[in-house]
Amino acid sequence: MTATVQLSHQKKSAAPTDMYEKLRPKSKRLRNRSLILGVTGIVLGLLIWQILASSGVVSSTFSSSPIGTAGALWTMLTNGTLWAPVAATLASFGIGMAISIVFAIPIGLILGRAPVLRELVDPWINILNSVPYVVFLPLIIFWFGIDETSRIVLVVWSAAVPLLMSTIGAARNLDRNYMNVATVFSASRGYTLRTVAFPAILPYILSGIRLAVGRGLVGAIVAELFLGAVGLGSLVQVQTSNFEMDEAMATVTVIAIIAILINQLVGLVERRFAYWADSS
Amino acid sequence: MNDSSALLEVRDLKLGHHSKRNGKLSLAVSGLDFDIRKNELIVAVGPSGCGKTTFLKAVAGLHPVLSGELKLDGKQITGPGVDRSMVFQDSSLFPWLTVMENIVYGLKAQKRYDAAGKARAEWLLDLVGLAGRGKAHPSELSGGMAQRVNLARALATDPELILLDEPFAALDAQTREVMQEELLRIWQSGGATAGKTAIFITHDVYEAVFLADRVVVFSAGPAHVAEIVDVTFDRPRSPELKRSPEFLRQADEILSLVMSQSWAKERMVTA
Repeated sequence: MTATVQLSHQKKSAAPTDMYEKLRPKSKRLRNRSLILGVTGIVLGLLIWQILASSGVVSSTFSSSPIGTAGALWTMLTNGTLWAPVAATLASFGIGMAISIVFAIPIGLILGRAPVLRELVDPWINILNSVPYVVFLPLIIFWFGIDETSRIVLVVWSAAVPLLMSTIGAARNLDRNYMNVATVFSASRGYTLRTVAFPAILPYILSGIRLAVGRGLVGAIVAELFLGAVGLGSLVQVQTSNFEMDEAMATVTVIAIIAILINQLVGLVERRFAYWADSS
Repeated sequence: MNDSSALLEVRDLKLGHHSKRNGKLSLAVSGLDFDIRKNELIVAVGPSGCGKTTFLKAVAGLHPVLSGELKLDGKQITGPGVDRSMVFQDSSLFPWLTVMENIVYGLKAQKRYDAAGKARAEWLLDLVGLAGRGKAHPSELSGGMAQRVNLARALATDPELILLDEPFAALDAQTREVMQEELLRIWQSGGATAGKTAIFITHDVYEAVFLADRVVVFSAGPAHVAEIVDVTFDRPRSPELKRSPEFLRQADEILSLVMSQSWAKERMVTA
């Protein structure tokens, strides 16, 4: 009890004081520990999976096995069957994310600063956020066909809404102090937006992007499952229906690696451009 | 009072806030009436919540005037202007900019950042005692250092009138003393800070007497002028002044003025 109280107190004064410096090495140690434990957990999980499959407790026809998956992954990497699906998935995801970022952030900024407009649009954003977007997929196919366009639309549909919402929230809660400084110095509206409002809310936008990236990737894969186009999602489906469980698991592994890499990339961008915000 | 040298004229000023809940107007300042001369360092003190900060915000152009005159150089203040700048209480430095970028922010916002502006900013960095720290980020600064940057930022645009809203209130007692002396040193240094007029708001009467040419004591809210006290100590003033009997006598006088305003308010509330 007392320990948690102390911890939260330390967090409160986690500004650039000496105390924070003293805490640093400890937190680094904790980070190392969590890394080691994390890797150990993965290895343990794979080991249990392998033992269950090898001993026949579960049928490897259905469950594959770590060794089988690794073998299939190696084959797919060397014979080149993996690259086209990876490229297709990344293309629709990338284009969709770019569109989401280009539109959701400026619109979010404007809605955040214009209460009347925001209250007008708010119910629509709430509806889009609350209704599972997958349900719109048949409609999207009906509107945009079954090719690339529909897949991109679904990525945008899934990624833009969380990004829009976090941008609006950030712009709404913009620190009055910062804005007052710009006002006192007679900065124009545009200059204030660019030099104060935008950097002040950038950390929140970046965490919105982190959220959007996760959702967008789901959108890209779900679209492929439905549309049966070239891509990692449809590849898993085809492989599973052919009872190629090793290959299917290998493809899932690739999706997992891509997801983790993209998340790491966003984390890197966050540390580069929002280094001054203490939440990260 | 020689009217021709008045920089800021305050006549029967009325300021207020509209309540967010019911839209009812509550007055912060009413019937405020005094002048500020050029080159004067005016310190405003008063009971807490009396409307000092609202008054300062109105001068900065951040708060609308309900009625009365609030004239800078003979012109009614209707919004912010390049002739004024403000030193904020705390945490108003932009954490995503370096110290130097913070200092030149006003110049850049007013499209006046040129070679002269750059030189001025360098000079100010040096003046506030942060030479060589221009590339640091605000998160690396102590509270006192942050307020030095805040002061340099306000001076960088070369305003006619500087508004200081309890700039040292969040600092610890020791740092506050140092910063008061620093402020006077900067004030008295001449050069780019010469000829500046300032309004400084505080609740610390010792700070007020140490810094001010005149101390304006605000009444309990809605504020009007309860008393204006001339502080005639010679400049440059040194820290030793704070221990002189005359200094303490004057601080006591102002303290009792402020306290009587607070009591008046208490009585009003209980009555």
